[in-house]
Amino acid sequence: MISFQPTEEESAFVDLAGGVARERIRPMATECEQERRVHPDLVKTMMDLGFTTLELPHSWGGLEMPLISQTQIWGALSHGDLGVVQGLPGAGDGASLIRLIPEHPALQSYKAAGADGDWPTVAFLQAADGENPGLSGVQAVSNGSGYVLRGISLPFRLAAFADSLLVAVNDPEGETLLLWLDRREDSRWHAVEGDYRLGLLAAGCARVQFEEEVITSDQVIARGSEARELLSQAQARIYVLEAAKEVGLMEAAVSYTAEYTSQRKAFGQEIAKFQGVSFTLADMAIETRTSRNLLWQTAERINDGDSTGKEAAGGMLSRVHRSLRFVTDSAVQLLGGHGYVQEFPVEKWMRDAQAQVSLYGREGELLARRGEQLLGDRVPTGT
Amino acid sequence: MISYKLSPHQQQVKDVVHWFAENEMRPLSMEADRLGKVPDDWLNKINQLGIQLNTSSFGDDKNGREKESGKKVKRERQANRLAVIATEELGWGDPAIALTLPGPGLGGPPVQSSGTPEQKQRFLSIFSKDEPPRWGAYALTEPEAGSDVSGIRTTAQKTAGGYILNGQKIFITNGARASWVVVFATIDRSLGRAGHRAFVVEKGTPGFSCTRLAKKMGIRASETAELLLEDCFVPEDNLLGGESYYENRGSSPSGFRVAMKTFDNTRPIVAAMAIGIARAAFEYTRDLVQKEYPKHGRFYHLASEKLACAELEIEAARLLTWEAAWKADIGQPNAQEAAMCKAYSGKIALEVCAGCLELLGPAGLDGQIVEKLYRDAKIFDIFEGTNQVQHLITARHLYEPYGVRV
Repeated sequence: MISFQPTEEESAFVDLAGGVARERIRPMATECEQERRVHPDLVKTMMDLGFTTLELPHSWGGLEMPLISQTQIWGALSHGDLGVVQGLPGAGDGASLIRLIPEHPALQSYKAAGADGDWPTVAFLQAADGENPGLSGVQAVSNGSGYVLRGISLPFRLAAFADSLLVAVNDPEGETLLLWLDRREDSRWHAVEGDYRLGLLAAGCARVQFEEEVITSDQVIARGSEARELLSQAQARIYVLEAAKEVGLMEAAVSYTAEYTSQRKAFGQEIAKFQGVSFTLADMAIETRTSRNLLWQTAERINDGDSTGKEAAGGMLSRVHRSLRFVTDSAVQLLGGHGYVQEFPVEKWMRDAQAQVSLYGREGELLARRGEQLLGDRVPTGT
Repeated sequence: MISYKLSPHQQQVKDVVHWFAENEMRPLSMEADRLGKVPDDWLNKINQLGIQLNTSSFGDDKNGREKESGKKVKRERQANRLAVIATEELGWGDPAIALTLPGPGLGGPPVQSSGTPEQKQRFLSIFSKDEPPRWGAYALTEPEAGSDVSGIRTTAQKTAGGYILNGQKIFITNGARASWVVVFATIDRSLGRAGHRAFVVEKGTPGFSCTRLAKKMGIRASETAELLLEDCFVPEDNLLGGESYYENRGSSPSGFRVAMKTFDNTRPIVAAMAIGIARAAFEYTRDLVQKEYPKHGRFYHLASEKLACAELEIEAARLLTWEAAWKADIGQPNAQEAAMCKAYSGKIALEVCAGCLELLGPAGLDGQIVEKLYRDAKIFDIFEGTNQVQHLITARHLYEPYGVRV
């Protein structure tokens, strides 16, 4: 039955997350950006409340929440500040793979390391798409029983803070590999300091240099078709969770802009009374609601194990990216000069938004892939 | 719980209506467009099958309760969701034919929501498969008052036993063939919205006539009438809700509220029809690209990106529309959602059709349904309140918490 009604449990979690976003995250956003990491007090709060383990399975001490519930909670948290949310330590995007194969031997060292609830930070390097320009900087070469990683990656989230890496990469024959790397004393990978100014500055974006890092067979999670399938499943979950954060930021931008434009006066009246302003705000709200609905639909389908959810996730994220850029840009535009200066949060939100869409898939590419699916395998559009 | 899955009943309604759209409407679509009308023999046949354009004809459970196993069980009302699900399929079949299906049409919701029990019985019971096909209509727009409902100039002067109506109405769907038309008029322009009244004017009433049928860009098979009211006497019994309805509400804007409440119900339906149009164009083009385009090269990539975009826009519009319908079903105010889904669906329907025409190229001009869908789609960004009016309504709701009226 079609319904847009969250469960009571979801509503309770969202209320809690909304309070944290309002009272803790938003007030500390600028400081976290300046410090280029999330303040430890805030991290502790988030960990204590369980927000860093929503995706982890019960057997790992996580909350193992359905995606549809997580989308609402991440949205509420990101209402505070996307930059802070993206800089939270812990399993990060790696949690979505752990969720799929919690008992895999390659992951057990990480599980043991986080047994006390203080999960080391995982960064997920997706370098397995050979067609994607610029991702071929990391190579995996067979050395008999395992592989050797060499080269430098493109920037990715949490890389600067990473204690462990989840790496998706193709070997020279084009076979996909999924690898798990914990940091050891003899690790030959390290984050490369960069010059990041655009946004998500507390999110630890960095490149990683691999200097003949030897990968043993027990670090190989999967290869070939098994790796591709796991990767696509994990990636679909990640796309949903990232889109949820984007929707949270959009909702923040809409409500902030509505409040500002209802108070700001020009030409003798509130600027909200100019249709150039109010219609733009209406478009922002429509884009935000549209994105939220598409997100929820994809989350529900993935929850249900419906393969159309996995297939549609990239297209959905592409659409949400587009909305995010529009909404955050419009927020700056409607605040005018005030939107451009850092006394107001919207300039940061626009920067964070653009950094976010740069990190998580090119819009055109995601869309083209979805189109190829449509033309290759018939996917009904009617529900 | 949040869910976008159709219940078995909803799926059944969708399937049945889709079958009808595919097998009864589509074969007629291009010919009806050429004729500028839906053939009478087809309408008679359809009416005998009991098929009507009525937002509650797909299984409304009336008061939300049904007897199950001998006791009353509370069940969620779903008439609005069923209506948008069904209407999308009708729009997919052919929007002009859908708008011409017998039944109370857009005149139904105001009678249903504001009519007295006697009026509901009198005006809604005439639609029967055992009778000749009949229509209802809804007359709000005037030459000088379109989207600005509050500016209507048709007057209603109180007289013994009723009212004398004078004025002109334009763009009235099924206005000429309708057995009755819900006509909005003002008893006193100086009262503004509080002066508005809704009357049911019956066909054949002296002083009530159709002066012209409009020739249009699209939905050509749908009748769009201009109506004239010249010293037209309408009895008190035809004042929607009766005199007491207005007396009890003092100076509140009752007539206006009837009109607005109607829009909250009908805009999601109009949005759903627009979505059906977009889906029809999308599916036709997708199938053609699959069949005739090479599986590589510039055009293939252009097509894949454009079709993916269209699919997302259709889905996004559908979900906005479902949300508006869901809110109405659970009894929550849905004016903002109704405006949002109408604004979005009307816009994307034309965009999707234009994108499909781009992919078809010049071949799309020659006897292809997509060019017709493109012409049909444009009106969905205009009637039942233009896109700009939907933006205004949406903005008003967004600013309401901050005490600013835009």
